[in-house]
Amino acid sequence: MEHLRLLASAIAGQPLEVLRSEPPEPPWTDGRTIHLPAGMNARDDVRAVAVQAALVGAGSLAPDVMRRLVRRPAQARRYLTSEGRRALSECEDLLPPAARALIGRGGSDLPPAFGTLRPRRVLAAAEERTPADVAVAGVGDASATRVSSLDDDDEGVGPGEDLGQLFSNQAGSGGPLGRLLARLLAPARGRTGDGPVGAGTPSRSTARRPGAGRPTTVVLSPGAGDGDAAGSEATGTWYPEWDVRRGRYRDAWCRVAEHDAPLDDRAAAPRFDSTALRRPLARLGAGLEPTRRQRDGEDVDLDAGVEAWVDAAAGANPDDGVYLTKLRHRRDLAVLVLLDTSGSAGEPGTGGVPVHDHQQRAAADLVAALHDLGDRVALYGFNSRGRTAVQLLRVKAFDDHLDAASARRFDGLTPAAYTRLGAAIRHGTAILDARAGTPHRLLVVLSDGLAYDHGYEGRYGEADARRALIEARRRGVGCLCLSVGATGEPAALRRVFGTAAHASVPRPDRLPSLIGPLFRTALRSAEAQQRVHQRRHRARQHAFVARMTG
Amino acid sequence: MTDQRPFYVPVGDEEKVFTAAFRQGLALLLKGPTGCGKTRFVEAMAYDLGRPLITVACHDDLTTADLVGRFLLEGGDTKWVDGPLTRAVREGAICYLDEVVEARQDTTVVLHPLADHRRQLPIERLGIVLDAAPGFCLVVSYNPGYQSVLKDLKDSTRQRMVAIELDFPSPDVEEKVLCHEAGVDHERAAQLVQLGQVIRRLETAGLREVASTRVLIAAARLHREGVPLAAAVRAAVTGPLTDDPVVTAGLTDLIATYLGDGE
Repeated sequence: MEHLRLLASAIAGQPLEVLRSEPPEPPWTDGRTIHLPAGMNARDDVRAVAVQAALVGAGSLAPDVMRRLVRRPAQARRYLTSEGRRALSECEDLLPPAARALIGRGGSDLPPAFGTLRPRRVLAAAEERTPADVAVAGVGDASATRVSSLDDDDEGVGPGEDLGQLFSNQAGSGGPLGRLLARLLAPARGRTGDGPVGAGTPSRSTARRPGAGRPTTVVLSPGAGDGDAAGSEATGTWYPEWDVRRGRYRDAWCRVAEHDAPLDDRAAAPRFDSTALRRPLARLGAGLEPTRRQRDGEDVDLDAGVEAWVDAAAGANPDDGVYLTKLRHRRDLAVLVLLDTSGSAGEPGTGGVPVHDHQQRAAADLVAALHDLGDRVALYGFNSRGRTAVQLLRVKAFDDHLDAASARRFDGLTPAAYTRLGAAIRHGTAILDARAGTPHRLLVVLSDGLAYDHGYEGRYGEADARRALIEARRRGVGCLCLSVGATGEPAALRRVFGTAAHASVPRPDRLPSLIGPLFRTALRSAEAQQRVHQRRHRARQHAFVARMTG
Repeated sequence: MTDQRPFYVPVGDEEKVFTAAFRQGLALLLKGPTGCGKTRFVEAMAYDLGRPLITVACHDDLTTADLVGRFLLEGGDTKWVDGPLTRAVREGAICYLDEVVEARQDTTVVLHPLADHRRQLPIERLGIVLDAAPGFCLVVSYNPGYQSVLKDLKDSTRQRMVAIELDFPSPDVEEKVLCHEAGVDHERAAQLVQLGQVIRRLETAGLREVASTRVLIAAARLHREGVPLAAAVRAAVTGPLTDDPVVTAGLTDLIATYLGDGE
C-alpha cells in the first residue's frame, strides 16, 4: 500500500492517502484519500490510483464543478470519462507504463479503472480543509464519515442529507454546535458511563475522530473492551504517590504500564517541522571555546610552542600540540517529551481548536528540532484510568528512529481518559534515568495542568504532581512544563508546575521565543538541585558513619 | 585545468550572467538543490574563462584561518602558509566555496571586503591587505532548502553577491546529461528521468532530499556496468534518500511499478 500512496502523491503533486474500502466499491477519491476496492491485481491498483491521483493533480475536482454534478449521476459519469482522460494526458510524463495505456483508449464508455466520481464527498472534504486549515484534521474529519453513514447512496437524496450538510458546515468551522452534533450523531460509542469518575462529566470524554476505521477508545470503565487497559493488568511498574493530606507517601500506589501508541492507519504523516524551534535550541550550551595544545589550529599556542622549542633544544621529543583552536563542545542532552492525551485535551482551546491539536503540534516541532540537532529524544503520550491503569504510550523511544512508523503512532494518539500526572512524571523520570545515557536530562511535560483522576482531584493531585517534579529534579532531571492552547486558569498551572520552569502559550508558534530560556532554566535548576541533594546526602552519610564509628 | 570543457548543458541564461559578473568583478552566489550541477557549472565556466579553479568544501568547523592561511611552527621558526582563498586572490583564480552556509558565520565575514567594490583581502595575522589579482572571482554556492533556518547566509554577505538560481534540468536536458555522463541509451535515460521526476514530486517525511541529477547519473552508471535498472536505482537513488524501512519498501515497489514493464 505504501507504494500506492507514494505513487498517488507523486502524480497528484500533493500528499494523498490510499485506503482499501470495505465493502469493495469502485475506486473513488474525495481529493484527499483514494479509496480502492480490495482484491484487485497490482496492475489494476496502479491504474486506479493513477486515474484518481491525476484527477486531483489536474484540479478536476474543483468545488464549483463538483457542485454542479451533485445528484446528476449521468453527467458525473460523462465528466469523469472525458476529464479523466484529460487529466491523465496532462501528467502523462509521470505515469507508470501500466497506466499510460489508459490515455489512448478512445470511446465514450467509462473504463472500469476510472471508478466513480463522488462530488458530495469531494465537497465535504474540501469544506473541512478550507476553514483556515483547522489544525491538522480537526473535528471536521468526522463529518465525512458521518455523512456517509447517514446516506449510503451518494448520488441519491438520502434521508439524512440535510442533516449531514448542516453538520458538515458546522463541524467544519469547529463551532460548538458542530461538536454537539458530532456527539449526538456519533455512531455507537463505547461509552458506558459507569466508570469510576466518568459519571457526571461527559464533556471530558471527547473523542476527536470517531469512526473512519480508526480504533477509537472512549472507554471510561477500565478494561471494558479496551485491549490496552486489559493488558496492563498483568504488567507495569508500581510507583508511590504523595498524599498531601497525611503528609507522607503511599507506597506502590500507582501502576504505570508502557504501551505502543496505536498506529494510525489513515492519516498522512505529520510534517515534523523543526525549523522554528531549531535556532533557539541550537544555542543551548553549544558555544565555541578556545582550546589549547591542539595539533591543528588557527593560531600558534605560544606557551606550548615555547615548551616544544625548549624540549627540542634539550634533546627531548617535543609535543606537537602547539596550536590554539576554537572547538565546539557537545552538549550531551536527552529529552523526554510527555504529551498529555487525557480526555481534557480534546476540549477546545485557543481559536476553537482542540488543545490536543495544539499540544501535538508543539510536541512534533520540539521532537523534530531536538532530533535534528542530534540530541537524544523520546516522545510518550500519557493518560490514566484510575491508579492501577496509568498508561504511557510510546510514540518514539530514545532508540527509535523518527520514521514513518513513529509518525503513524503519533497520529494515533487520541485524547481519552484522565490525567494522573504524578505517576506519569515518575515513570518518565525513570525512563530518563535508565535509558537516556547522557549527563544532561530533561523532561518536558505538555499538559493543560489539570491533574485529575479517580481519587486524584484538586489539591491532592496538584500536590502529588508538584512532588513528582521535585523528585525528578533531585535525580538531576530538569523539568519543563508547557501548556499550549489550553484556556485553563493560570493559577492552577502555577500550583502544579510552579516549582519547575513552566509557561503557558496560546499557540505553538509562540514557543520559539520562549523555549531557549525555559530549557536553560530547567537544566540549570536540575543541576543545582542535584548538587544540593547530593551534598545533603553525603552529609547524612558522613553523620551516619561518624555515629557508627564514633 | 583539463583540456576538454567539462560537460554542462545550460538551463537558462546562467552562462551569460556568470561571464558578465566575472568581467565586472562581481561575486556570485549559486543557489540550487544538491546535485543539480552547481559544481559542474563552475568548472565549465572556469574552463570557458580560462582561469584556474580553487574549490573549498565548507563545513561547520571551517575557520577564517582555514581560508586565509596560518602560521605553522617548523623547528624554532614560524612559517606562513597561504590558505586557498589567499592563493586564489594572489593568482587571480576563481575561488569556489561550496555550501558556504555550512561555514561558521564569523568565517564568512572575511569574504565581505573581497566581494564588494574593494576586492581586497585583509590578512590580519600578517598585517597586510592584498588586492585581488585580475581574474579573481569569488563564487559561493548555497542550498536554500537545506538547514535554511539554523544556518542562513547573513544579509550583509548576500547583498554583495549576484545570485544565479539553478534547478534540476528539464527532462529532455536531464536525459541528454544522463546519456553523456553514463553512456546509457535514450530509452533507459528517459526511464530514469521519469523516475526522478516522480520522486521529486513526493513530499514524504522520510525523504531527506529529492532524487538529484547526480544520483540519477550514478544509477545510470551502475546500469551501464550491467546492474539491472531496478537494482541500480535501489542502490543509487533509494538507499541514499532514506533510512526509513517503510519508505524504502514503498519506494522499491514504486520503482518496480515504473520499471517492471520495461525490463
